[in-house]
Amino acid sequence: MVHALRETHRVLKTDGLLLDLRPGPVHRRIGIEVDGQYEQLAIMGEQLLDDYAANRAVAEVIQEGLFKPVSRTQFNCNRTMALRDFASWLADFADDRAAPQERLLQTITRAYKSRSKRKKIVVKGPLVLKVLRKVES
Amino acid sequence: MTIRVDPERNELRALRGVDAWRGKKVLEIGCGDGRLTLRLASLGTAVIHAIDPSVDLIRTARKNLPTKLAKKIRYKVGSAEELKYRSNSYDIVVFSWVL
Repeated sequence: MVHALRETHRVLKTDGLLLDLRPGPVHRRIGIEVDGQYEQLAIMGEQLLDDYAANRAVAEVIQEGLFKPVSRTQFNCNRTMALRDFASWLADFADDRAAPQERLLQTITRAYKSRSKRKKIVVKGPLVLKVLRKVES
Repeated sequence: MTIRVDPERNELRALRGVDAWRGKKVLEIGCGDGRLTLRLASLGTAVIHAIDPSVDLIRTARKNLPTKLAKKIRYKVGSAEELKYRSNSYDIVVFSWVL
């Protein structure tokens, strides 16, 4: 990660900006929206170690004097999907022992099927946008 | 698979507030299927070079690229660890959900 950030420093022009956009280190909340009404059903409990490692990498290149922080913005980012897509999306976390997939899938499936109106699964979580400016070394 | 990411477009709103994008040369790292790349193009950027290590995702991104943006956006398989671009060549580098 640090090497990638150093590479970024190399290709940026003087005063160029590095934008680090990614999910914040917060467990995702999963619920169902029916006719615009959201009901939270579960919290994922996924591992956040990679997020912390990325934060450390960014801090390291700032410490090295390659970049200086300009701003940090946090905002909500939803993902909406039908039940058939939820299982595929969840499979991305298959190696994550902290997020018990089967129970989560059962909970959401049961709740989804019990709603008869227009419905969708909504995964909520914050995105963080960090802006850094290149410092000439 | 149909998953809508950020239907409220909060992401685009946050990016728009960062800088004047018009005429800027941008490198996007981790472009995936090009979802965010197309949003970045709508901000008035001059050129976007977008890379991702996945051959399949780059193929999808190229397939989804509207003809009118073909001269503005270039998709390429590549890794953030070894950027095959000249030094001092981009105004903005965006890490898209990859760090």
